[in-house]
Amino acid sequence: MIARSQVVWTAFGAAALVFLLSPLVLVVFFSLSENANATFPPGGMTLHWYDVLFGNPDFWKALGNSAIITLCVGLVSMISGTLAAMALARSGPKVANGVIALVTMPIMLPPLVLALALATGYSSLGLPLGLATVIPSHLVFTQPFVILVVYAQMSGFNMAILDSARDLGAGPWTIFRTVILPIIRPTLIGATLMAMAVSLDDFIITYFTIGGGMTLPTMIWGMLRKALDPSINALGSLVLVATIGTSLLALRLTRYRG
Amino acid sequence: MSLSPATRRALGLSPALAIFGLFFALPMAYLLVVTFWRIKRYRLTPDFTLGNYADVFGDYLHALGFTLAIALTIALITTALAFAIAYLIRFRSGLFGQIILLSALATLFGGYLVKIYAWKAMLGAQGSVNLLLITLGLIDEPISWLLYSPAAVVITLVHFMLPFALLPILAGLRGVSEAPLEAARDLGAKPWQITRDIVLPQCRGSLFSAFSIAFLIPAGDYVTPRLVGGPETFMVGNFIENLFVGRMNAPMGAALAFTTLLACGIVLVAANWLLARALTPKWGR
Repeated sequence: MIARSQVVWTAFGAAALVFLLSPLVLVVFFSLSENANATFPPGGMTLHWYDVLFGNPDFWKALGNSAIITLCVGLVSMISGTLAAMALARSGPKVANGVIALVTMPIMLPPLVLALALATGYSSLGLPLGLATVIPSHLVFTQPFVILVVYAQMSGFNMAILDSARDLGAGPWTIFRTVILPIIRPTLIGATLMAMAVSLDDFIITYFTIGGGMTLPTMIWGMLRKALDPSINALGSLVLVATIGTSLLALRLTRYRG
Repeated sequence: MSLSPATRRALGLSPALAIFGLFFALPMAYLLVVTFWRIKRYRLTPDFTLGNYADVFGDYLHALGFTLAIALTIALITTALAFAIAYLIRFRSGLFGQIILLSALATLFGGYLVKIYAWKAMLGAQGSVNLLLITLGLIDEPISWLLYSPAAVVITLVHFMLPFALLPILAGLRGVSEAPLEAARDLGAKPWQITRDIVLPQCRGSLFSAFSIAFLIPAGDYVTPRLVGGPETFMVGNFIENLFVGRMNAPMGAALAFTTLLACGIVLVAANWLLARALTPKWGR
């Protein structure tokens, strides 16, 4: 009986793993195969589609915009998220839970609603759409990840060592730089990387707040709407590798396991 | 630096709250106000009319019902699958579970569009799913309704939401202590009885979190139905997007968006109530 249930669970686990990963594996697989229709048989291996992609000037423009947005969003959400997490760690659990429930609302709602709210707001104010409107629009749904992850570590923080540092005459900045930062640095970098992965992958909010510009996800969208462009698998693979690579690094640094 | 601790806490919170207020609370409040406005000569004009809501109830009730039904299907399948996978990770195999957890976490933040178009390629007549089923001898010719159908939307969004639902349920299962489970086992309870009477009631909150996110995000999605749903599968998100972009009617689009959010809220309250009733342990009464 035990043996049979073990077999059933192993089969279920294998099926779950195939379900989770096979779409992603296939995109990378077809980005490297000759058959332009992305169907079986795939044909031989080739880097041709990457060549096509790298020869497309739109790709470099999109990459540049994505890099600027992701770096700015990462930096600002690291600062705003960490400051908030540190303040929350020193507040009572009631205040902390309330504030966290509030600031995580943007990641619970369908992104389309927030995207249209932001686009309508910007247009009523007469603000020109561009990178300057995309970046703050991203912050609102990336900073919750930094707050959640850093707060989880800070709430287990031994506050007594901060009192000791203060009693010995250290100012707030010195305490942060020499006591707090060395302890939370891996978590801080990991949480920032998570925020960057979320920003890099965002399509819906970017699409409605960027105006005429292009990022890697909006370029994928453009390719999907035109006739078959096989280099889409190469572009999709690059976005996957970038976001999954960033996430894996973040998981390693934060030891975050759900 | 003689700031009081309370002032310092408030200062620390202020950048995050400013971002939240300026780029979430304010635009959402503005969008809510716009639902009472009108479009006159292609311009937003302040007004106080309930006409947009009347039109929403007149024209889009059917689309809303269809969307809620699809989102409910997705949320139920996703939550059930996520519970089974979380159970496997928590109580069964060691290494295998860890691989699944790592895969789910690593793919959580990436590839929204890539995942959708991957399913578009996989579910087509020439796609790998049909090919696999034919190779296994389960079907003779490709299943045509796998792509461009509500089924395609359900499959794609279950795949996308699964990691998001898995994390809260796993966190809930980690909080279930071993001692009562062993006691129940020693007293002769079957595994499914233990799951129903001890495990599920204890992670009710996390089941509800998983269900909520797996319901809300699909209920407002428009990209998945657009790419894999085909011409028959129009969800509310598609109508909202079309009202804003195609017909330039922000007030009506906004009224449809808020009506959808309200309907989702009602479904979630009902789901929470049903979950509480279903998961009250028998020995608790």
